[in-house]
Amino acid sequence: MSTQVHANLTAEQVTQISEELDEPEWLLETRLDAYEALDSLDMPDVIRTPGRDWTNLDALDYETLVDPLEWEQEKDRVDAEGVDVLSWADALDQHGELIEAQFGSIVDPQRDYLTALSTALFSAGTVVYVPEGVDAEDVKIRTTMNSRSLFNYTLVVAEESSSVTILERQTTGTNVDGEAQRASDSSSGGEPRDGEQYYSGIVEVAAEENSSVQYGTLQNLDDDSYNFQVKRGHAGTYATVDWIEGNIGSRLTKSNVETRLLGDASESQIVGAFFGHEDQHFDIASRVWHEAEHTTADLVTRGVLDDAARSVYEGVQDVGREAWDTNSYQRENTLMLSDESEADASPKLIINNHDTEASHSATVGQVDEEDMFYMTSRSVDPESARNMLVEGFFVPVFEEIAVDELRDDLDDLVVERLRE
Amino acid sequence: MSSDQDHLKETDTEKRFEFKKEEKSAFEAEKGLTEETIRVISEDKDEPEWMLERRLRALEQWHELPMPDDWPGAPDISEVDVDEIVPYIRPDIETRGGVDDWNDLPEEIQDTFDKLGIPEAEKNALSGVGAQYESEIVYQNMQERWEEKGVVFCDMDKAVQEHEELVREHFMTKAVPPSDNKFAALHGAIWSGGSFVYVPEDTSVDMPIQAYFRMNSDGMGQFEHTLIIAEESSEVHYIEGCSAPKYSEFNLHSGGVEVFVGENAHVQYSTVQNWSKNTYNLNTKRAIVEADGTMEWVSGSMGSKATMLYPSTVLKGPGATDNHITIAMAGEGQNIDTGAKVYHNAPDTKSTIESKSISKDGGRTNYRGLVHIADGAEDASTSVECDALMFDNESTSDTMPYMEIQESKVDVAHEATVGKIGDEDVFYLQSRGLDDDDAKQMIVAGFIEPLTEELPIEYAVEMNRLIELEMEGSLG
Repeated sequence: MSTQVHANLTAEQVTQISEELDEPEWLLETRLDAYEALDSLDMPDVIRTPGRDWTNLDALDYETLVDPLEWEQEKDRVDAEGVDVLSWADALDQHGELIEAQFGSIVDPQRDYLTALSTALFSAGTVVYVPEGVDAEDVKIRTTMNSRSLFNYTLVVAEESSSVTILERQTTGTNVDGEAQRASDSSSGGEPRDGEQYYSGIVEVAAEENSSVQYGTLQNLDDDSYNFQVKRGHAGTYATVDWIEGNIGSRLTKSNVETRLLGDASESQIVGAFFGHEDQHFDIASRVWHEAEHTTADLVTRGVLDDAARSVYEGVQDVGREAWDTNSYQRENTLMLSDESEADASPKLIINNHDTEASHSATVGQVDEEDMFYMTSRSVDPESARNMLVEGFFVPVFEEIAVDELRDDLDDLVVERLRE
Repeated sequence: MSSDQDHLKETDTEKRFEFKKEEKSAFEAEKGLTEETIRVISEDKDEPEWMLERRLRALEQWHELPMPDDWPGAPDISEVDVDEIVPYIRPDIETRGGVDDWNDLPEEIQDTFDKLGIPEAEKNALSGVGAQYESEIVYQNMQERWEEKGVVFCDMDKAVQEHEELVREHFMTKAVPPSDNKFAALHGAIWSGGSFVYVPEDTSVDMPIQAYFRMNSDGMGQFEHTLIIAEESSEVHYIEGCSAPKYSEFNLHSGGVEVFVGENAHVQYSTVQNWSKNTYNLNTKRAIVEADGTMEWVSGSMGSKATMLYPSTVLKGPGATDNHITIAMAGEGQNIDTGAKVYHNAPDTKSTIESKSISKDGGRTNYRGLVHIADGAEDASTSVECDALMFDNESTSDTMPYMEIQESKVDVAHEATVGKIGDEDVFYLQSRGLDDDDAKQMIVAGFIEPLTEELPIEYAVEMNRLIELEMEGSLG
């Protein structure tokens, strides 16, 4: 561990956050436990090969970035019929016992340093409660970050035979640190500049028997943001947990999207798309644990890299000893538009049950020359041709996105970036 | 498994792999690894001062480097305690550097090698045999016509004396420096025996050169070093086969292989490894390939308790090519962690990796591989294919590839599949009159064919026989 924020973070501050939000005793204790664990926790794991760390999290100066008592943000929540989409204060009021039972049961509050930090300091977030049998579409949560740091916590509980689609967007407001000076562009390495922000988000999804949760995220934070996310779902019997993870913004993103298939015949799909440019660094992981019989997982990620952007992808398909009759698939494709960019990938298979059909594939390449030739021979100018081919590259991922609005928005952002 | 072993003991092949010999040793270094031990080894071999210095520097690095035990899913090698291994042993024979004629070998050693099939291989007109009994090469022969062309095939200790300049330039300097990893450092400190192959420019050795390495002593480590130098436009195929008798105490094998492939040269390195199931097999193998050269690694990993082996190739010159074929089979108590590493450091370089693994009876196989394409390696292409077969629900099959792509004009593809043996395939073969075991054996033989077809017929037969032995009675 290197620079640690908790050097000037105190238990009193944690208590203060909890008191301001008028929280019950158990939540304060969970926060304080997480705070106290900071000393002994390591940074999240990053992939290492001989002589190289694929992502350097230690370079961040959390001490400068994190202001525990400042959580200026805007929340825009659109709920759907029959579903409770609540702030933490309201949720604790209305569903106190349910939250106490679920909170921290899916994402271990002490899984690593940054998760514990997030648990201790979260001040914003949403609870989505879908009662038994309710089919709800299009719950929307828009978070606009207006402070130096923001710790967001989302809990989704889908009861038996319910279904819900949740769209979450993260953007940066215009008035971050009003007086932010961006004078020194010459900053090097991990030296933080004024105007940098830190967003940390935890999402827990509990999908009970025969329920279906689709959780889409479109992250378009300011290019000066550091973004850490852990999203993890438990799928019960016959349940489905699907994730869509779109990453466009931030300077550094470390994102973990995970499903544990705990119930027989449960399913999960993780669809990812990213488009990096300039010096953006995306460290993206999709992980699935097959822990019951007849489970199915499908991981699909496509990304484009321009300028000096770098992507790090880890995909894990872990098939447990008791996961009979498993189907598990993974595809990852990266398109490189620039010679300065770098694409790193590590798709992993951990198979402990032989009654499994598992595969993964990964490719890295550039825009196909023959396709370019075909397009230009049809009198499309080279730039338009390239842009069309890049947009087309995302189509297999767009096709997996069942939520029209998210697909269209992502497409718009891709097109916008291509025009830059 | 014990009933299988009883069964194995009744077969002829069993005798080839499961025998022991009374030990008669002229020299046995004291246990433990100290500077003193290193000096004794070096002095005993009458080595030049520079080699002693390299050994001592490697020893320092051994003490400094961390154990490779913090990788995700790394095999447990905590039982490896170098202080408990007598690192150096040589057989009780008259001639230090080995003998040139088979009949000069002591009867006991001849008998040992008879069971390993070396004379047969010799009769089959393979172009040279170096057989390592314990730590030193005791038998060397290179057919005269290759000697005339300037091809050198001799044991490594002899090469240090007779080809000092070549060895000094290439030995653990460029391909496998001792600083590479802890066991490379250990190897650098206490290496002993192994083969030296030198093929001059424009020379093609059209028959495979082979060497057998074995361990046959309680608690003894084997640290042979192989150095292959293939000059411009030359061609050579080197084969190494391993088979070790069983002992109750653990053994450590930590070999080093360095291959230099000159411009437009072609080197194939094939190995079938069947270390006894209490051996820790921790090797470092690396090739450096110049422009338009080709390196081919063919490896079958059958034995050992734990194997960590990732043959590496640095594609240094434009147009260089690297091909890997690797087959791993892990049974009860085995952890075979193997794969390949390729560094594309020049334009127009190509690599292919084909990995097949079979896990059964609680064994674990893991493909761990790295493909690195450096910035500027335009038009590099790489294709990685990993297929795994699992026989039962006690076993584990992992795949952990790593890809680092720093160049945009590339073609990178990785694919992996894991599955059980196809019920329909078995049913089809049974409907043609085969019983269940035969059907499965036939499917496995087909599964590993990409490896066996790369091997000379004796090796392919041995490989198939090994797999049959491993599978007999163990299929559900």
